[in-house]
Amino acid sequence: MFRDSAVRVIGRYGSLVVVMGFILLPGLWLLVSSLKTNQTIFSSTPSWLVEEGTLDHYAWALGGRGLDMTRLMGNTLIVCVLTAAITAFFACLAGYGLARYQGKGARVAIIGLLIAQMVQGPMIMLPWYQIAMNLQLLDTRTILVLIYQTMTLPAAVWLMSGFFKNVPTELEDAAQMDGAGRLRTLTSVILPLTKPGLVAVGLYAFILAWNDYQYALIMTNSSSTRTVQIGIAQVMESMGAQNWGGILAAGVLAVVPVVVLFALAQRYLIQGLTAGAVKN
Amino acid sequence: MNQTGTRRRTADPRPTRQTGATPAGRPGRGRRWLQKHGFWVLLMSPVLLYLLVAQFYPLVETVRLSVFDHRPTSPEPQSFTGLDNYRELFTEDRNFWRVVRNSFLWVLGSTGLQLIVGTTIALVLNQRLRLRGLWRGLMLIPWVMPVIVVAIIWRWIFDGQHGLANHYLTQIGLLDEPIVWLGSEIWVWPVLLLTATWMGSPFIALMVLAALQGISRDVLEAAAVDGTTARQRLFHVILPMIRPTLFVAGMIAVVLTWFKFEVIWALTNGGPGFATSILPTYVYTQAFQRFDFGMAGAVAATAMAIVLVVAGILAKLFGPRKD
Repeated sequence: MFRDSAVRVIGRYGSLVVVMGFILLPGLWLLVSSLKTNQTIFSSTPSWLVEEGTLDHYAWALGGRGLDMTRLMGNTLIVCVLTAAITAFFACLAGYGLARYQGKGARVAIIGLLIAQMVQGPMIMLPWYQIAMNLQLLDTRTILVLIYQTMTLPAAVWLMSGFFKNVPTELEDAAQMDGAGRLRTLTSVILPLTKPGLVAVGLYAFILAWNDYQYALIMTNSSSTRTVQIGIAQVMESMGAQNWGGILAAGVLAVVPVVVLFALAQRYLIQGLTAGAVKN
Repeated sequence: MNQTGTRRRTADPRPTRQTGATPAGRPGRGRRWLQKHGFWVLLMSPVLLYLLVAQFYPLVETVRLSVFDHRPTSPEPQSFTGLDNYRELFTEDRNFWRVVRNSFLWVLGSTGLQLIVGTTIALVLNQRLRLRGLWRGLMLIPWVMPVIVVAIIWRWIFDGQHGLANHYLTQIGLLDEPIVWLGSEIWVWPVLLLTATWMGSPFIALMVLAALQGISRDVLEAAAVDGTTARQRLFHVILPMIRPTLFVAGMIAVVLTWFKFEVIWALTNGGPGFATSILPTYVYTQAFQRFDFGMAGAVAATAMAIVLVVAGILAKLFGPRKD
């Protein structure tokens, strides 16, 4: 029916090139520019090729005399790992509950999750700031891990419940017949089957926490708690156009972890996200 | 009732399936409910409690703050002032209406563009292509990027002195002299909208792509047999079929963009002046630069009220039809 003429094939791949160009070229320009020397970065005829590459900007970005990305990334890493672990644990419990609960209010719980997903940033940051101040938690990593759960949990629970729903209930009945308690059934029968989901949810939480800017902006300040986003933003404010090379290199460094993790998790994430979105 | 019941439930985790096997007395309705549902409710309760404390309570508290005069830096306790904050905001604040107008421009502009570009990307990637999975994965890169990196990328491209945009636009003759994009009250907007579109379209494309893959080839082939052009198939078959998905994606984008403060803050800090300030950045300005939490609460509450009305109107206009 849809026979392939040469024109069609060219049209198809031509449109692909345009779309992927729009999506990928800006990021590529960041990478290319970050590898150039200061003379070529600011050259009046920009070139997409790196003629004489240099890693100077990366050294500046990573080093303690420059942006100190090593420390920033260390701070962020701790916060993100904790956020991911806590989210995965509670999303696992609640997701399992949501997947199996048949009683009244199941719909209310789902709508509650949906609303919670929308209730973000400016709508909750004032009380959070005050509570953090009263509990002496301002400028700590603890408060970041706590507030990040508001971004990660709603969708994480929803994703996990999707994965649990794919596990047939007969398995649970069989395990219980064998005398396993319900928690035991969860940990030794159900969880091994949903491990990919659990990993995906953990990575999802990690990525969100890594990418956060607004909460870290109001909650942290000192160099021992500052996250990558805040560190870069502060340098951008204070030096602006003077050290583009270093800022570009820092940008590349900040994006590498998320892209790698996303590549690992994308199959399950896309599955979970689109299943939820399209069904409604 | 619930409390003691839950405790009892955990003491005896194994469900007794047979009715009448309960040791003491008749099983009450509550007891049966607990046996059936208690475990699942118990599993959900930590997260539900957290959401109540960490999101729903702050939401209410934000609205409460809006009728108080409260500055966290001043030693005086907060005092109830009724609607004073709102009155001051609506009638005396010279920036407020501009900020509201900016918010609408920002939400309608970037949601509209994201829907158009996202659908286009999805249609392109839905064709028969080699390595389709790879393209789909690469497509999502802008969406998973930290917002600060996105800001670096576009600030660099639209840099007034060394930016790629100025270079190419002067080369093809569209510009006579370079523009300082982010320093101009007008030219800053195309940069913001382009950035938001670049970052937000992939997610829309992902959802639309999933919907497109749900359309069976039979339908399209039948339409082709009837002698329709590709254009007719797009507007009369494909788009109507993915309408529900477009609606959901659009609504999500509207609400998220409305409250999203990070893209604008990272790119322009709401400037130059207040040229790109929107309600969420204005909340930040009031709360953390002027330390007026009462006023910040009033801005936030106004933003919530507006988005409820707008979402309602959009749902009426484009929502699922009863017929």
